[in-house]
This record gives sequence, structure tokens and C-alpha cells, in this order.
Amino acid sequence: MNLCQQNANSKEAKMHNSCQLEKEFINKWVQGLQICNSSSKKMNLLERKKKIKLSADIAIASAKNLTTSWSKAIISEATKDEQNMTLVKNVCGPESKFMYAHQKVTSHKRTTSKKILKKCYGVHRKMKKMEPCRGSNLATCIAKRLVKKRTQVLKRLVPGGELMDEYSVIKEALDYILSLKVQVDVMKNLVNVTTSLS
Amino acid sequence: MSSRRSRQSSSGARISDDQIVQLISKLQQLLPGTRIQRSNKASASKVLQETCTYVRSLHREVDDLSDRLSQLLSTIDADSPEASIIRSLIM
Repeated sequence: MNLCQQNANSKEAKMHNSCQLEKEFINKWVQGLQICNSSSKKMNLLERKKKIKLSADIAIASAKNLTTSWSKAIISEATKDEQNMTLVKNVCGPESKFMYAHQKVTSHKRTTSKKILKKCYGVHRKMKKMEPCRGSNLATCIAKRLVKKRTQVLKRLVPGGELMDEYSVIKEALDYILSLKVQVDVMKNLVNVTTSLS
Repeated sequence: MSSRRSRQSSSGARISDDQIVQLISKLQQLLPGTRIQRSNKASASKVLQETCTYVRSLHREVDDLSDRLSQLLSTIDADSPEASIIRSLIM
């Protein structure tokens, strides 16, 4: 009985969380769109689309309030371009300043040092991999390799995933998918509203 | 008992297999479509594959929706009162 209650509570909590996230996202996105559109009145379709997408991504990341790695990765990626600074500052607020400045340096260092390591041990790692798969272990071995392969792909899909270990990337993917769903839902609604009004 | 434990925990053994299995099952619940839950690693790779496909499709949706929105907003130069609502909201 307690377990059922717990399940119900956690479902409610999840609903509440996603409603909260939706509200935050909508507020921040509208803010972002206003900033984008106030800068230049004449934009071609592609530029406009990029701005809409960018403001949506920054909005959903900022709605997370620095709690997840993927959101930090999105914001730090956006701040690499000088043109996005006003947008990020206004939507995310001043606290993000410290976060992205630091993130810029460390992520770059980590990727370069990882690349060097990969080059050095690439051959050795390949040879190591070939060894343990024999006999009864074959199925487990193949399964493990598949999981590793898929996780590598997932790392490229989740923002900031390249710097994470397997466990974290799966954890981050969970939250990232939920947030993407919120983003898509809100965008769909806006499209529907705009279509019906025009 | 021994059949489950015989899975060798290799590098990164700080995270237990059970924790990973739990994560995978949570992921499974998020994915569209219903599946029978299994706890071995073979289906874990399937879940991961579907996760990747799903994330890609969500990315594509965001892209498409941004496209449509940009088209709609650029053609919304009409003087109707509804258009002015939208314009004041996001422009």
C-alpha cells in the first residue's frame, strides 16, 4: 500500500515538475524571442528560424537552473558566439556568468587531453578488446560491446555528453528527453495557436 | 543466484550493474511504445538504440517546428487584431 502511495506521489511530483518546467520554459522563451526580434527588424527565414531555435534551446536549458550537465553544456556552447551574449545574459540571469566562463576553459582542456590520450592508447585498446571474448563469455561480451557502442552514440546526441562517463550520460539523457518533450509540446502549441489565428 | 552474479563487473565497477539496469528501465518508460521489461544487457543495448533514435527524432521535431514558426511569424504582417496579439507577445 505504501509502495502504491509512493508511486502515485512520485507521478504527481513528476507532473508538477514538468508543469513547472513548462511555465519556466514559456516565460524564458517569450523573453528570448522578444530580445531576438527587437534587435533587427528585417530577418530572412533562415536567420529567424535559427533565432527561434536558439532562444528555445537556451530557454529550456536555463529553466533547469544549473541543475543538469546538459543544460550547462547548451548555455556554454551558446556563449561561445559573441552575438548570443545579450540573449543568454537576459534569459539566464547574471549567475550564469561564472558558470560558462569556467566551463569554456575546462571543457576545452578536457577534450584536447582526451583526444591525445585516445590517440596514444587507441591501438593498445583495440588489442585489449579482442582478448576476453571466448566461449561462454561471448554473449555477455558482445552485449557489453553493444551497450558501449550505443552509449558512444548517445554521448554525441546529449549536449556535453562527450565529457561524461557512461552512467552519467544515461542519467542526463533521461532528464534531457523529458525536457525536450516539454520544449516540443510548447512549440507545437504555439505553432497551432499562430496557425489558427492567421 | 550465481547466473546473475557471474556477469563480470569490469572497469568502472563503482557503479553496480543493478544501478545501470534501473536507469535503463527508467529510460524504457520514457520511450514511445510499450515493451516487455527484461533485465539482461541485450535489451539494454536495444533501449539505448531506441533512445538515440528518439532523441534524434525530437531534435528533428524542434527543427521543423522552428521552421514552421519562422514562416508563420514572417507572414503575420496582417493588420488583424489577432496578429497584433501575437506580435506583442513575442515580437
